[in-house]
Amino acid sequence: MNKDKKFRKGILVYLLIVLLFPIVITDDYYQSVGVIIGLHAIVTIGLCLVMGLAGQISLGQAAFWGLGAYTSAVLTTKYGVPPALGLVAAALVPGFFSYLLARAIAGLQGYYLAMATLAFGYIVQIGIKEWEPVTGGANGIIGIPSIAFFGQSEMGMYYLVWGFVTLVLLFSLNILNSRVGRAYRAIHKSEIAATSMGIDVREFKLSAFVVSGMFAGISGGLYAHYIGILDPQPFGMHESIVFITMVVVGGMTSIWGALVGTVIIELISEGLVAASHVIPGLKGDIDTIVFGAILVLIVMFMPEGLVPRIRAAYLKYQVKKSEYPQQKKEGKTVA
Amino acid sequence: MTELFQYIANGIVSGGIYAIVAVGFITIYNVSKVINMAQGEFLMLGGMLTVTFISMKLPYAGAFILAVLLVTGLGILIQKGIIANAKNANPVSLIILTIGVSILIRGLASLFWGKDPFALEPLTSNNPVSVGGVNVAQQSIWVILSVLLILLGLWYLMDKTMLGKKINACSVNPLAARLMGISPSKMTMLSFAISAATGAVAGIVIAPLSVTAYDVGVLLGVKGFAAAILGGLGNPLGATAAGFLLGLLESMGAGYVSSGLKDAFAFLILIAVLLIKPTGLFGERSVGKGGL
Repeated sequence: MNKDKKFRKGILVYLLIVLLFPIVITDDYYQSVGVIIGLHAIVTIGLCLVMGLAGQISLGQAAFWGLGAYTSAVLTTKYGVPPALGLVAAALVPGFFSYLLARAIAGLQGYYLAMATLAFGYIVQIGIKEWEPVTGGANGIIGIPSIAFFGQSEMGMYYLVWGFVTLVLLFSLNILNSRVGRAYRAIHKSEIAATSMGIDVREFKLSAFVVSGMFAGISGGLYAHYIGILDPQPFGMHESIVFITMVVVGGMTSIWGALVGTVIIELISEGLVAASHVIPGLKGDIDTIVFGAILVLIVMFMPEGLVPRIRAAYLKYQVKKSEYPQQKKEGKTVA
Repeated sequence: MTELFQYIANGIVSGGIYAIVAVGFITIYNVSKVINMAQGEFLMLGGMLTVTFISMKLPYAGAFILAVLLVTGLGILIQKGIIANAKNANPVSLIILTIGVSILIRGLASLFWGKDPFALEPLTSNNPVSVGGVNVAQQSIWVILSVLLILLGLWYLMDKTMLGKKINACSVNPLAARLMGISPSKMTMLSFAISAATGAVAGIVIAPLSVTAYDVGVLLGVKGFAAAILGGLGNPLGATAAGFLLGLLESMGAGYVSSGLKDAFAFLILIAVLLIKPTGLFGERSVGKGGL
């Protein structure tokens, strides 16, 4: 089976699952989990472009998410802008900020870049908290209009969000399989080698940052209109680390991995919340313990992440299945 | 004028702590090229353990020493059990790994101690000392004294003793060091022990100035990381200076501009410096070029 066929098969399976989910599972709570997974997936797919392809770390992704959420929330509640336009702004404002940040720090690598993105995340969160006349400070913003889509039902929101996930996914997969994607992977392997092949490393890193900032912004905007109220709390370092955990679990170098990782971590998260209602002794930050343990275990024992690991195992199985005894013999003599 | 001196005094106290955390980062980084994002957790554990031991009727000194020893042991455990087993990881993976360790420790601490803050008695009395109108808590003087003692001790250890020379040798060229009969893995372990111990001491001496809780390590760690980067990663003297500078800037910013923006100043300055001079104010010490 050639690559194109396989790719199309993957997309078909994906679409089937996404389309059928709210029809099969009609419970409002599970549908809302589906919406949240979709919102997070938009962010993590973007983060995957930065971490997996450009090989850079962003410890401030939640800041772009928050910027998007607040942009749309402020525009729609204070200036009566329709939510659809608010969403456009929610993509552009974080995109602009990530462009500025990336321009400023494009020469940085490794720990310096990690610190710069971390610092940016703190600045944004503090800014949101302190710019009270616009953002409402710690009290936040209430009464953000919801987006009318199929009559404002949970299901309507689900399809809207997953429509965006699908767009973002296709866009990113396309990048991955194009010349640009090959350039990214070359940069990930060795910046020096990539430069000597004529790849403008700076330009590529920059575009990865901008695209991921815009994705996070769109997701933030959708989140604001979905939840209806905002406060600065969910846009800090904790959330940035959750996003990173999602990408790392699925596999940094795989767009599908980001999606799978998001689903897994979100389900674990929901499971922990449910467990804390049932088990009374479960106080403290259980999710922090679980996510911390997951990060440590993954980097130690499965640094490539779940999806690439499964893909490799599957390929191995296929090779084994198709191997004729004759070929095996040949293989042995070569070895 | 008194106001200014007051801000300077406050800035020096918090700056000293940032300096210790930053030097802790660099002690580990120089030998192993790992930035240990769990550094702030060492401070938190130092303070929390001391509170617990004192509540168990241990004398102050005993609680202090026991807490430092336990945190040092944990530092060694983290290096031996986790970091050493991820040798082939790139910087991005190493950051993720140590972030995992840090949130794991924080989560366990919240489970063990709960989320309420704890108060630790100051070493001497609560009455502030007034010097020409500038009020300084007695504990602040203890903080400054311990900071100076730790920094001096580290400088002596690294520059004047055989052990320090061995550690330095590993940071310049691990292979050559090994050929000379020095064990890089032992030195890496030692660097974790040193930075855990200094972090724990710093955490204990600042605990009485405010309260201590399971999550105080985050910001202390991040500010220390900022100082390490600002000074130029790998340069302990630069990091010390940058730590004090951050403390002073923060205190001035909080005093003259807005206390709500206090935490933002350090980070704004940091991004600005990285923009102008990407390797930090004092440049990364050029080590490891001839290494593996």
